[in-house]
Amino acid sequence: MGDRKQAREAQDDGFQSFVIGRWPRLMRTAFLLTGEQHAAEDLVQSTLEQTFVAWRKVGSADDPEAYVRRVMINAHARKHRRRLKEFLAPRDDSGLVREIADTGDRIAQAEDRSALLEALAQLPPRQREAVVLRYWEDLTETQTAQAMGCSVGAVKSNAAKGIAKLRAIPGLAEMVTQGGRQ
Amino acid sequence: MSADRETNQTMTDRDIALLLADAADEVEIGIAPYQAVIRGGRRRRARRWALATAAALVITGTSGTLALAGLRDGNGIEVSPAVTQKATVPSTPEQRHVYVPQETMLAAGTEQGEEWYITVDVWGAPLTKAEAEAQLKAMAGRHEEPWDKDRASALVGKITYFVRRAFGSGEPGLLMGDSAAKEDTMAGTDLKSGATSLDPKKTDGPQRLVVGQVASTAQAVTCTWKDGSSTVARKVAAGADVNSGEATIRPAAGSPDSWFVCVAPAGKTYESAEVTTD
Repeated sequence: MGDRKQAREAQDDGFQSFVIGRWPRLMRTAFLLTGEQHAAEDLVQSTLEQTFVAWRKVGSADDPEAYVRRVMINAHARKHRRRLKEFLAPRDDSGLVREIADTGDRIAQAEDRSALLEALAQLPPRQREAVVLRYWEDLTETQTAQAMGCSVGAVKSNAAKGIAKLRAIPGLAEMVTQGGRQ
Repeated sequence: MSADRETNQTMTDRDIALLLADAADEVEIGIAPYQAVIRGGRRRRARRWALATAAALVITGTSGTLALAGLRDGNGIEVSPAVTQKATVPSTPEQRHVYVPQETMLAAGTEQGEEWYITVDVWGAPLTKAEAEAQLKAMAGRHEEPWDKDRASALVGKITYFVRRAFGSGEPGLLMGDSAAKEDTMAGTDLKSGATSLDPKKTDGPQRLVVGQVASTAQAVTCTWKDGSSTVARKVAAGADVNSGEATIRPAAGSPDSWFVCVAPAGKTYESAEVTTD
């Protein structure tokens, strides 16, 4: 077959490796952004589909991760622009404050995680994005600003407000004072 | 933590990072749905292709696992794509049709006394940014505007095509367009298509007109209408007569892909289109 087919296959191989290699990390980030398994899968799949369209350019770029992050954050932001009402899970009527049970117990740990996810879900999207990118993705403020398509000042402001709100949540504060996950 | 790099962080911030990491572990990672991503990506590419100029179009996705598909003939035998059989690449932009597109009539017919026809303009690939800039100007002169019109360099190395529909006494209007590099050449059962009303003034009417692109090896495309009936477009040779209302797949000058047009009988509307072996 011709060079074209070989080039296409090489490109496909590169994209396949990228998808398989980045899937776990992207799923975790998307889970923190959306708070729900299926929404996270949708967000990552949609992000990777868009990446595929631009893969010839993205795959040869120095930092394809940065492109993917930007696409994911844009997709997340778009969803929230369209649907102002949050659909995030876990959803129940118990409110933000959860009674923190003894740690070390699997059920209690699950509840702790649930409390954190719920607390995250209560943050406005931009604050949630800033917190997740800064504290989970471990990006610098500059990298976070690039991913969010905003200024470093806006990142600082959103991250600070987000973290302040998380700290103000009694359940989470208790988790922190207990040393977080053991 | 690099979060410490730019601002003063407290122990609490680090704790939050740990809590986030722990919460992130709750997600079930599963197996990366690579094939689904590829299918979705190709659908997005197809959507972009049509939406460039015709928001009213309904777009079908591609079928099959395109990324892995080779070029096969109707019997499933792998064949060389026609484009690789070209002996030489013309050297001047004029010879490559960079500034004047090659136009091919894809289909024609008469609907309630009004004549209609579908054409595709294929612009040759500019090799330099200067050629691309000149091509953009030439395109503007024909009221044809590529997707990335603000970046001439995006056209370098790509053919650009525009599908036009003429109906009755109205001026021919753009239906869809896109730019494509060599590696975007369609293969196997790849298919990109759009469906719209036959009469451009009746955009709310049934989507009877289906126009699309398939691999040069495709022998038949089945267009299925919502009532379950279907029309089969069959491959004809380059330059074959365009018979009134006939559904065909035909090569277009300058395009490595073939093009098909199906028109639904009156009252029927588009459901799907796919490359078939019939």
